[in-house]
Amino acid sequence: MTMPIKIRESSPLHWALRVVGVSALAAIAVYFASNAAPSTLGKITEACTLAIAAVSLNLLLGFNGQISLGHSTFAGLAAFTAGYSVNAWHWNPWVSLGVACVLCFALGLLLGLPALRLKGPYLALVTLAVAFVWPTVARKFLQQTVKASTLKGMRLRPPTWTGLANNRVDRALFLFWLSLVLLVITYAIVRNLRKSRIGRSLVAVRDNETAAAVMGVNLPFTKTVTFGISAALAGVAGWLAAAQLATLDENSFSILTSIKYLLALFLGGAATLAGPVVGAFTYFFADDLLKTNAPKWDFLPGPLSKGPVASFLLGVLVIVFVFIAPLGLVGFVKAQGRKLAVVVPPPLRPAPKASDPTAHASPAPAGEVE
Amino acid sequence: MTPERAPLLEVRDLVAGYGAVQVLTGLDITVAEGEVAVMLGANGAGKTTTMRAISGMINRKGTITFRGEALTRRAPDEIVRMGIAQVPQGRGTFTDLTVEENLRAGAYVRKGSGIEADLEEWFGVFPRLRERRSQKAGGLSGGEQQMLAIARALMSRPKLLLCDEPSLGLAPIITQELFDVLKRLNTEQGLSILIVEQNANLALRIAHSVFVLETGSIVASGTAQEISNNDAVRTAYLGY
Amino acid sequence: MGHLLQYILNGLARGSIYSLIALGLVVIYRGTGHLNFAQGEMALFATFGAWWINDHGFPLWISILLAALGAFVGGGLIEYSLIRPAAKKSPFAVVVITIGLFQAFNSLSGLLFKGAATGLPFGTLFPDAPSDFFRLPGGVIWRYENIGVLVTVVIITVLLFVLFQKTKIGLAMRMVANNADSAKLAGVPTNKVLMLSWALSAAIGTIGGCLVAGINANVSLGTMFGVFLLASAAATLGGLDSPIGAVVGGLSLGVVESLVTNYPNDWWGSTYIGADTAIAVAFVIILVVLLVKPSGLFGSTRVERV
Ligand SMILES: Nc1ncnc2c1ncn2[C@@H]1O[C@H](COP(=O)(O)OP(=O)(O)O)[C@@H](O)[C@H]1O
Ligand SMILES: [Mg+2]
Repeated sequence: MTMPIKIRESSPLHWALRVVGVSALAAIAVYFASNAAPSTLGKITEACTLAIAAVSLNLLLGFNGQISLGHSTFAGLAAFTAGYSVNAWHWNPWVSLGVACVLCFALGLLLGLPALRLKGPYLALVTLAVAFVWPTVARKFLQQTVKASTLKGMRLRPPTWTGLANNRVDRALFLFWLSLVLLVITYAIVRNLRKSRIGRSLVAVRDNETAAAVMGVNLPFTKTVTFGISAALAGVAGWLAAAQLATLDENSFSILTSIKYLLALFLGGAATLAGPVVGAFTYFFADDLLKTNAPKWDFLPGPLSKGPVASFLLGVLVIVFVFIAPLGLVGFVKAQGRKLAVVVPPPLRPAPKASDPTAHASPAPAGEVE
Repeated sequence: MTPERAPLLEVRDLVAGYGAVQVLTGLDITVAEGEVAVMLGANGAGKTTTMRAISGMINRKGTITFRGEALTRRAPDEIVRMGIAQVPQGRGTFTDLTVEENLRAGAYVRKGSGIEADLEEWFGVFPRLRERRSQKAGGLSGGEQQMLAIARALMSRPKLLLCDEPSLGLAPIITQELFDVLKRLNTEQGLSILIVEQNANLALRIAHSVFVLETGSIVASGTAQEISNNDAVRTAYLGY
Repeated sequence: MGHLLQYILNGLARGSIYSLIALGLVVIYRGTGHLNFAQGEMALFATFGAWWINDHGFPLWISILLAALGAFVGGGLIEYSLIRPAAKKSPFAVVVITIGLFQAFNSLSGLLFKGAATGLPFGTLFPDAPSDFFRLPGGVIWRYENIGVLVTVVIITVLLFVLFQKTKIGLAMRMVANNADSAKLAGVPTNKVLMLSWALSAAIGTIGGCLVAGINANVSLGTMFGVFLLASAAATLGGLDSPIGAVVGGLSLGVVESLVTNYPNDWWGSTYIGADTAIAVAFVIILVVLLVKPSGLFGSTRVERV
């Protein structure tokens, strides 16, 4: 057989590969759920949370071309909303999730409006400013209320139908599954958006705004709503973080958090569907591994702990990584994998009727076919 | 027929493009000392690509020899120093710089003496530029910017001037004026010029030799006379 | 009235430092269209360098100049070895690299300088005893320290403008900033110009960092974080490709910060609105300005790259 092997999209073989892939991932999840210690589950939960944030950022930056360094603010808003409403007003945590997402959506729309006028670097710096202002807002807020207002512990209980008890071990297990489910939902939302007509207009806007407008894409609507949806999904990550953090303080969602989202996204590969998920897990566990295993480097005068060494090595790793895989891990694997096998679009159906509005929409670029 | 002249620029087997896209597929041209050569070709034929390849702005293969020296491996600044100046398509004006600064920018490769004198010389040739000498060049009209672009290129004291579609977007009367200037530079100063043009009728009037470019290689070449008499070229480019 | 002048004078000194760091950002942005997110942390590292040289017995001003020289070389090397090759790979690669540098330089400072996390005592650059001030009409005092910072920044700014406007290198830098293709065609070795931009930017940042450390009489790992953010806000406000914009933007943000911090206290005697609120106010101002002029007060409206 000649290389690369051609796999037709949505053919039985393609579906079989998809089923195998998804089952393998599910099996890994079940394996961890039944074997891993609560602390390991906690780490995976954290990685999932980061992945949700990176997926949300990918929708905005990867597919729509709008950069945001302010996603930490959306996550922070959601976390504080959840923490406060549940602790001060005794809301149901699930209701708080919905409300937090709505608030984030609204703030996202609001930020999407100036974003309409601003180009790349200006947008980057304005969103950076948002992220910078957030701790101030949070501090003012904290002055008004009690600290430690998160969802942790007793406040987010496993529902009875799960059969899980309300103890530390079972709660960890519950959060683990919950974060996975939320990640899958977030991923599915972004994936379906990307594959739909809306997704094509997102990418069209990213690649050439004028051309997209000429094609009939409503630029202001598309861009602001994308900002809103992306913010709402970042809110999911924030809410989930509130379920894991012991306390919320003003620095819980600082610019550094935004930078973490951004690095996770680039590490995995922006503008690919799987990229942010792969990147988030890679980033989280690389960081975790470095934190526990970094040398202490006593020969240097400064360090009192491994912390700065780990942080330095992570920075250097990120730089080195850019040179090895400038398009991220998924981009790298795809480029290598394309030599072995490619997914090709199905053969053309009989000529579509002239009235079919989708007939002229461009097919997804080869690199983005799943 | 013009008498035989020594070759100034010789391009052989030129291959160039953008990334994976190959635009030029083995192109040959020769520009002789003191002549005006014109390159004709439809939109997208690769005329600009040829100019950029000669100036070293893009990666290229093949041999380009200028006054006997190979320049295929040289960087743009070395090529300017060797005596080739280009007026890019779209004029390439430094819009935020003043008219005078644009001219000084053109003299970047030169050392001190003579620059002031040349400034005055070009202000003499293009009096409108002198009037606007301390205005931002972005505010000039299209024709003025084209004059400025030519004067800017000449500030490096080139032996060979490359002009990429100088008439683009200009009123016919301005274009006429522009070609008169180019003609004068050639006859009075002996400057060799390679012009890329879509306006073939106009270009042929001042050309000594002509090349016709189609999808990346030369399909016809000869003296202006020969090319004007070539039926295929006539229908395709001259419209009669 | 007296208070207004007083607060403006205080704000100008801090604002001038924002201008300086913002100038560093602009110098790089003009040439390459890149934002250097590591600008503040590179300056921080060099400021620790100045502290270290000073600690080895050199006079403080000499130490600062040596550190700036080192930063000049280092900045050029970073452009040559990291930024230039990365820019060829993808537009986002440079963003990631500067973020990586941000992290690497901050932690490297912590690794190389003992006590950096909690802060090291930095010498004062100007007389700063309680009695070191001019008395102006209306009970306004102008501290020597504030004057010194302002004058230093003015001198550097003037030198930079002379470089840009009156020298051949400056002309080459403006050519590359305005039209890189035409600059190449005119024979400008654009790579060298970009390297020089990074070198200059790093040196300017070093002076800025040392001025901050001098005012605080202290330098720690967190010193440049807020300064960088306000400087980047200043550059945005003024227009990322405009040196004049950086100066005006920095000075105005410094003054706004000072006014917003002090007036509410005078009026309501409350500390509820503190320095951090100034940042929020500054942000609102920037947003309004950008909505009216999307590329800043003095920025050009050419097509922007990410
Ligand atoms: N920067 C570029 N990247 C990719 N392709 C290009 C680029 N510039 C030009 N091309 C392609 O190269 C071909 C020749 O272009 P060009 O040399 O500009 O033609 P001409 O000047 O004869 O109109 C065209 O098909 C054009 O699409
Ligand atoms: Mg052309």
